[in-house]
Amino acid sequence: MMKPLRIALTKGRLEKDTIKLLENAGYDCTAVREKGRKLILPIGSGEIEVVLAKAADVITYVENGVCDLGVVGKDTIMENGRSFYEILDLGFGKCRFALAGKAGTDFLSGYNAITIATKYPNVTRNFFEGKGMDIRVIKIEGSVELAPLLGLSDAIVDIVETGSTLKENGLVIIEDNVAPISARLIANTASLKLRKTEIEELADKMEKERAKMQ
Amino acid sequence: MKNYSKITPVGTKDLLFEECLANRTVSSILGNVFAHRGFHEVLTPGIEFYDLFSESISGIPMEYMFKMSDSKGRLMVVRPDSTLPIARMVSTRLKNAEHPIRLYYNQRVYRYNPGLTGRSNEVMQTGIELIGAKGKRADLEVVTTAVEALSKCVPDFRIELGHAGFFKALAQKLPVNREEREEIRGFIESKNYSALNSALDSLEQTQAVNVIRKLPRLFGGIEVLDEACNLCDDSDALATLEYLREIYNDLSKLGLGERLIIDLGLVQRNDYYSNIVFSGYVEGSGEPVLIGGRYDNLLDSFDAPAPAIGFGINVDALASVMMNRGNIPQGKSVEVLVHSQKGYEIEAIKYTNTLSEANIFGENSVFETEEEALAYAKAKGIKKLSIVGENIKTIDTGV
Repeated sequence: MMKPLRIALTKGRLEKDTIKLLENAGYDCTAVREKGRKLILPIGSGEIEVVLAKAADVITYVENGVCDLGVVGKDTIMENGRSFYEILDLGFGKCRFALAGKAGTDFLSGYNAITIATKYPNVTRNFFEGKGMDIRVIKIEGSVELAPLLGLSDAIVDIVETGSTLKENGLVIIEDNVAPISARLIANTASLKLRKTEIEELADKMEKERAKMQ
Repeated sequence: MKNYSKITPVGTKDLLFEECLANRTVSSILGNVFAHRGFHEVLTPGIEFYDLFSESISGIPMEYMFKMSDSKGRLMVVRPDSTLPIARMVSTRLKNAEHPIRLYYNQRVYRYNPGLTGRSNEVMQTGIELIGAKGKRADLEVVTTAVEALSKCVPDFRIELGHAGFFKALAQKLPVNREEREEIRGFIESKNYSALNSALDSLEQTQAVNVIRKLPRLFGGIEVLDEACNLCDDSDALATLEYLREIYNDLSKLGLGERLIIDLGLVQRNDYYSNIVFSGYVEGSGEPVLIGGRYDNLLDSFDAPAPAIGFGINVDALASVMMNRGNIPQGKSVEVLVHSQKGYEIEAIKYTNTLSEANIFGENSVFETEEEALAYAKAKGIKKLSIVGENIKTIDTGV
């Protein structure tokens, strides 16, 4: 038998949404729902294997070809993206990148050097590079909103869904067209060529279910 | 200060025994294929002037190259690619050579890869360049050499054909500037369907736009060409499809069957590819093991215009696939340990040499006593021990 198609899912919400999509498409996902501590799980009748991983690791596994496919947020792709195929916008996990700062401050004008705190240093640098602006980036791992409140940075670049966390902390969105985000189906470059039929079949099913969900 | 004397730099490694053997085996199998087909081996310098690889010619981003300066402060790079040095060599030292020039190389190339992804910054690459010949015969010669090279290593490879001219012909018809065009090309290369769609949505919906929209999906068997033919009526684009069909049909005669695939979305960043492009894939490697194509305009950059086509193979990737499959023949191990009695050291060395001439693997013992030599032979699994003195006495070590 052919070895199973291996798909890496970003643990957490994207995993749940993807599993729902796959179940709607007719795959038996009991093994994932009752996973315990296992990290590699068969779905359907064993023709697909699900691997659960952290977002950035999904990209690493797919890029190195140990997983054929992956489901990961566009935010992670923009931050870590390198060489793989991005074959489907899954439509869920929607949010956006936004630039936010303390209400009432106008840090974009003036001649002082600007400091931005973010979990996404590459996205931030690219965004300001596009504006022709020279900035200092500080990488923060946890709640980025703290940085401007503590005076560490002038503003933040982060993903925003509703904006309520920002509001509660006295931050306002300065620009939210940095980039729209949603979950993407990515494929290893060699796998897509070597296992075209299987991958396209799965991607087509997922695309049809996505259309129904919207 | 931290001492780095005991670790290798990120992206490099020592190759020991089996891995080293696998690497050398693949290089030698491929070198043999090339040499038998009339290609001549060359080596180019490990360091070159940066100018040779400037991004406008090479398509290699500056940050991917290892750079340093020479004693005059000029910018140098550690060779990131072999085709450009060969183009330089052809346009200078081989300026007056008769065409076609058939060359092959087997040397390491160096590129920085984003850290901690497990990729090597140092890759053994082997490949050929056929310079000064254009047309279908030259293309077939190089692609069939690629096919033969891969089939000598991993019989289940796939060869994928594309044409750089197809996208170029269509992209010319798009009302976009160079930057937007490059962005669109990037989306096709990464098969990013959704981003490509949104980039094209803002344009007037012409036929070219519609074909480009489908480009990332235009890969598979010969039916891809039929599909593409039905989509467009641009004569330049159609000519590239017709040419691909001819090449495909010719190559089918090699009995490649489903291992021959077509990808019209094969639009590499290497802008120097002008015509047919191709890649090779094998199960077990997450990236193409072979990349090649025709680059008729590259030699213009060196004021020595000539058509050219070639490919490069990632020897490390191929070696690792073959090793994992157990397809690397084991090297012969030592059969005889030769030990000398005191005063007969040179005789023993001479005897070891005669063994080697008879293609018997013999190791000259460097121990003082016979007991130590015997213990060593047993530990190493060497079957025979020859003691060289007045006479030569050979005993079984019992392993």
